[in-house]
Amino acid sequence: MSNDQSSQPDTLSSAERSAIDSSVAFPVILFFGTSILWLLLGSIFELTSSIKLVWPFFLDGLSFFTYGRTSIVSVNALAYGWATPAAIGIGLWLTTRLCRVPLAHHKLLIASGIIWNLGVFVGVSGLLIGDSTSIPLLNFPAYSTHILLLSFALIAIWAVMTFLQRQSGTLFVSQWFLVAGFFSFPWLFATASQLLVWNPVQASAQPSIAAWYAGGFFNLWLVPMGLAAAFYLIPKSIGRPVNSHHLSLLAFWSILLFGAWSGTSRLIGGPLPAWMVSVGVAAGVMMIIPTLAVALNLHFTLEGHYAPVAWSPSLRFIVTGVSFLLTTWILSAINSIPSVNSVTNFSDFTRGLNLLGYYGFFSMIAFGSIYYILPRLTGKEWPSSCLISWHFWLALSGILLGASALILGGLIQGFALQDVGITFRSSMDFIAPFRFCAALAAILIVAANLGFALLFAGLLWSTRRSGATPTLIAVREENSQEPVAV
Amino acid sequence: MNKLTLLFTGILLTFGSAWVGLVAYPVANLANMEPLPNEETGGLIPPTLSGLAVAGQKVYAANGCVECHSQQVRPDPLTTDIAKQLGKRQTVPRDEIREHTPFLGEYRIGQDLSNYGARETDVAAVHRHLYSPQLVSPWSNMPSYSYLYQYRKIVGQPSSHALQGLTGSFAPKAGYEVVPTQQAEALVAYLLSLNQNYPLPESPEPTAK
Repeated sequence: MSNDQSSQPDTLSSAERSAIDSSVAFPVILFFGTSILWLLLGSIFELTSSIKLVWPFFLDGLSFFTYGRTSIVSVNALAYGWATPAAIGIGLWLTTRLCRVPLAHHKLLIASGIIWNLGVFVGVSGLLIGDSTSIPLLNFPAYSTHILLLSFALIAIWAVMTFLQRQSGTLFVSQWFLVAGFFSFPWLFATASQLLVWNPVQASAQPSIAAWYAGGFFNLWLVPMGLAAAFYLIPKSIGRPVNSHHLSLLAFWSILLFGAWSGTSRLIGGPLPAWMVSVGVAAGVMMIIPTLAVALNLHFTLEGHYAPVAWSPSLRFIVTGVSFLLTTWILSAINSIPSVNSVTNFSDFTRGLNLLGYYGFFSMIAFGSIYYILPRLTGKEWPSSCLISWHFWLALSGILLGASALILGGLIQGFALQDVGITFRSSMDFIAPFRFCAALAAILIVAANLGFALLFAGLLWSTRRSGATPTLIAVREENSQEPVAV
Repeated sequence: MNKLTLLFTGILLTFGSAWVGLVAYPVANLANMEPLPNEETGGLIPPTLSGLAVAGQKVYAANGCVECHSQQVRPDPLTTDIAKQLGKRQTVPRDEIREHTPFLGEYRIGQDLSNYGARETDVAAVHRHLYSPQLVSPWSNMPSYSYLYQYRKIVGQPSSHALQGLTGSFAPKAGYEVVPTQQAEALVAYLLSLNQNYPLPESPEPTAK
């Protein structure tokens, strides 16, 4: 085991820690609270789209609710309304804790939180009235992306100032991921918005840029932020350092390099130079390296200390989220092999992968982080351990049902689309029952999100101060040596 | 890794390498493509879009058609797109220069549309399909775009643009007619313009095996 400083989460005293936590409370709660509203809205739109795929007459003939609009509203509301602000909230809290400085420049962050939500609201309204750009993950019309970028510029300025004021010492592995995420997102978003939306280059040059953005949004923004939380909160919750400094290094740099190049693997056979696809395929398959590095590193950190997963809500959600990240990466690596991709491309397999990556990985990590962070910001405990348990099982069953239906059904649909002897109509018949399961899964996910929103509201409204006992979802073993996380 | 500057430089290099390759390279090398002269007809390859079809691109984007319909024919022998007659040859960057945004698509929830205009030439049939997809294919799960059409009482002479051949539950009541709005006309013009059946030197048609 490495005793390197970069493997130790932090060495703050509890007084310092609570001073930092309370300084950051308002902006972080602002980001979390608004993001949960968008999570609800986005998942309801996702449910609407899933129903429409099964039963096209549902809300048919209304421009606002045609499938093409509900589906992009759900994707963009979840990506920019939920995932991004949740990642920012987690990032703000982690940055102040790991840089060991109380939060400065409150107003900058509060302003950026309000501006960001305004931008998402304008963007979603734009999509509903028919101003979509039709670029995947960049559907928001130009007038809203300007607002989003302005908001993120404020956050980036704050993050740079905080990092420069940090107490000296080794950078912990989560800080590498935070720097990478806060650096990559504005670069990705500004480049892609400028070249595809604001002053679009000729369409012949656009496919690789769009694929680079869509790949980067996941692998260079949500993944670094999610892993920053996992690498901080897992060691914290079990009271052990991160197992291996070298595995952390390997994971970090391989994610950055291969993640940045892997985007074009989604355009195998598409209209772009062959070398770009080849690089994307190579990088996509190489993503197996960070998969192994993250899996081994976190497993050896947790080995012999898995017991708290049973009772700690945050640890349970985060460990689940990390396992879904590994699943997503393995399936994406397999999906980057051209002969596999020629079957799975254009099928619901891709929808299954997106569900695994965005909800299974990122949302689960975000839930786990919020379960950890919020009681420490407010000094209050979660109102109901039973509801937390419901939230977990509903979310998990929704992901497992939805992803397995879409991945299996997608394979069957893909073989049908590929086979010269099978008509297009048959490919639709084959996938239909699987889409029905996916719609059921969407109901479970809406219910899970609703449970989480109730918990969040309940905690903010409640007056119950935290005593010595945090809310646990199972009885803690009497003879356990595990510390209660602080 | 003790130094923030070292970390920052590393991120700059890894992230920047992909940025140079996948963003700067295509902007420098693929963003200034010209149409080729068509020696047979004296026109251009790919043909220039009509103004109405350009307006139709916006309608196509606004209603999220790309969520279900791809527009890319992938090459033999990697895929069977050509054998399934989605097109006669692979889609290449020069095919996209007529577009504002390339509608490549991620799903084939509906059929690929790269060469829709080669399969379908009848304006009235396309209107009927958009207004009532299940009239054309009862098994279709395509949404109705009836909101792009005006359902109105016939005043005086029936409109010459009114949709013909709407039957069963899709037929308008007696004395009423369904007339396409400008958006519907533009969308149909764009859909019928989707046709890559022109020769491009960089994308030869695969020869018979």
